Amino acid sequence: MLDKNADNDVDELIRKSTQVEIPAAVEDRLRRRLTEFRYTLERRPSRSRTGLRVMAMAAALLAAVAVGLVLIPRESSASRVFAAAAGQLRSAASLEYTVVLNTAPDVTVELSFLAPGYRRINCSWGIEIRSDGTTGKQIVLFHSTRTYLAEEGKQVESQAASDDFLEQLRSLPQAADELLGEQRTGGHRLLGYRLHKAPANTGNPGPKEFDVWVDAGTREVDHVDIAIQEVGKPAHQMHIRNIRVGAGVDRSLFDLTPPAGYSAMAIPGGATPQNRPALRARIGQAGAMAAVVVPMTGPYEQASAALQRVEAYLKTEGVAPVGPPLGRFWSEQYWEAGYPVPLDTRAEAPFEVVTLPAALAASVVVKGPWGQDSGGRWAAFLQSVVGQGYAPAGPAMEIWSGDEARAASQYTEMRMAVAKAK
Amino acid sequence: MSNGQQQEYEQLIAPIEDRMMRAVWRICRDPNDTEDAFQEALLTVWKRWERIRAHRNPQALILRICINSAHDALRRKVRRGKWLDAAAMPEDIADSAAPAVQTVSGAEQDAEVLRAIGLLSKNQGRAILMHLVEEIPYGEIAAALDCREATVRKHVARGRARLRDLLAHLIPPVRKEEGSHA
Repeated sequence: MLDKNADNDVDELIRKSTQVEIPAAVEDRLRRRLTEFRYTLERRPSRSRTGLRVMAMAAALLAAVAVGLVLIPRESSASRVFAAAAGQLRSAASLEYTVVLNTAPDVTVELSFLAPGYRRINCSWGIEIRSDGTTGKQIVLFHSTRTYLAEEGKQVESQAASDDFLEQLRSLPQAADELLGEQRTGGHRLLGYRLHKAPANTGNPGPKEFDVWVDAGTREVDHVDIAIQEVGKPAHQMHIRNIRVGAGVDRSLFDLTPPAGYSAMAIPGGATPQNRPALRARIGQAGAMAAVVVPMTGPYEQASAALQRVEAYLKTEGVAPVGPPLGRFWSEQYWEAGYPVPLDTRAEAPFEVVTLPAALAASVVVKGPWGQDSGGRWAAFLQSVVGQGYAPAGPAMEIWSGDEARAASQYTEMRMAVAKAK
Repeated sequence: MSNGQQQEYEQLIAPIEDRMMRAVWRICRDPNDTEDAFQEALLTVWKRWERIRAHRNPQALILRICINSAHDALRRKVRRGKWLDAAAMPEDIADSAAPAVQTVSGAEQDAEVLRAIGLLSKNQGRAILMHLVEEIPYGEIAAALDCREATVRKHVARGRARLRDLLAHLIPPVRKEEGSHA
């Protein structure tokens, strides 16, 4: 009796909860699918005409239908996946990702965001900026010199730059311009979408294509490939990787307390950051160049010795430098010093030929002894770059000219590849 | 296009179009999920068309394919913890003739029932849906599932028992007491 009654109750409950009519809007969508299906079915080769040719045609048709129905995501479904991914980014309480500006050597920028206004930019060339948008405070850490620059009480320029960086990813439109298809990576099904972005009026180098790859399962952006095309130049590729949306973010990343062992940056003449000598970086196109360098690790004071080694090597090879010596600095763990050389020069280990492609770059020439107040100069340089609406896109480079024996004759060109921040 | 193939559609699909669509909607209850599951079902039908044509009960088989696809979608959603909160269920799920208070309550109940069905095994869930929701006779279900009628009955019985446990709190208490004293 119990079982029978209970069975009836269960049956009644299930029927009551499932006997619903289909809404007209949904029915319309499904009928469109049926119409497509009928069209496909009625063009299916008949099995009554079996044979290899017909079998092959059937296989081809099956493949076409599979591609049409499954492999190439249906527009409605794919659009929803993209919209969901864009929505997740827009509403994310936290977001972390890595911008790969260059590979071999790797030049990357890590960005972290935590609502309501905490931001961190960590550049692979040893500069880290932490900012708190709620209080207007920020600290710039120069890891190579173990110095820092703390500022507060004004609109933080670097925060604006990080906003721009973040907005690139956080403000994806609701719909993509183009559907690229799908790819499978590590057991994940990724759907690709392309966004076309026209160049802005303010020196943006050219049209961009953002290829956004979204995990169809989680509907989160997996990675982004960015192509920048300038007229008459090969396309430049950048990538956004390691995207983590809404994951637990280490709050210590946004700590504005100077790390142990770091000292406040010395400003020449006791100048404060607010009244330091003006230094305005010039933004322009830097030409391509090649250089023979020796990779280095350890203190930058070895630069002079490193240059002597390169100079001696070039002499033995009969190669004449085509410009003054230079250094490129990612960190004390990796930097290079060497001389510019003709483009077709070859080198043997431990020396290397590095090619610096033509790129948008910020540069300024400062007079004074090489290496003097390097940290303060670079802090001012970086602020000037950011203040003009650009962001670092490569390692710091110095080109040294003048007479080594006479400090008064020495000049340093500070140069850094940059990209328009927005 | 051959007349034969047009006739096949008219004979096999056209009469059950409404049932196919309704079967998927009843289980998915979300316009997008329904469309996706329906599309998957149609692709399966296309791939198995020769087998369906030769089947002793093609329409039961087609309905089974639709129910399978919808049930798979439901199971995935329940397993991922993404099954709808009752409050989020579309209003058109509820009986529009019912008073407002009961409508909310009905939507919650519908959500719980479907979640419970999503927790059933594939065989149990499909058998329950075909028998109780689509009211397909045991014999036809057995043909569609390619098994014996007794096996279908077993799946339905076990699925029903599991649902009874999962949905005990929704079963009217008076009836339960009557049963316990009997």
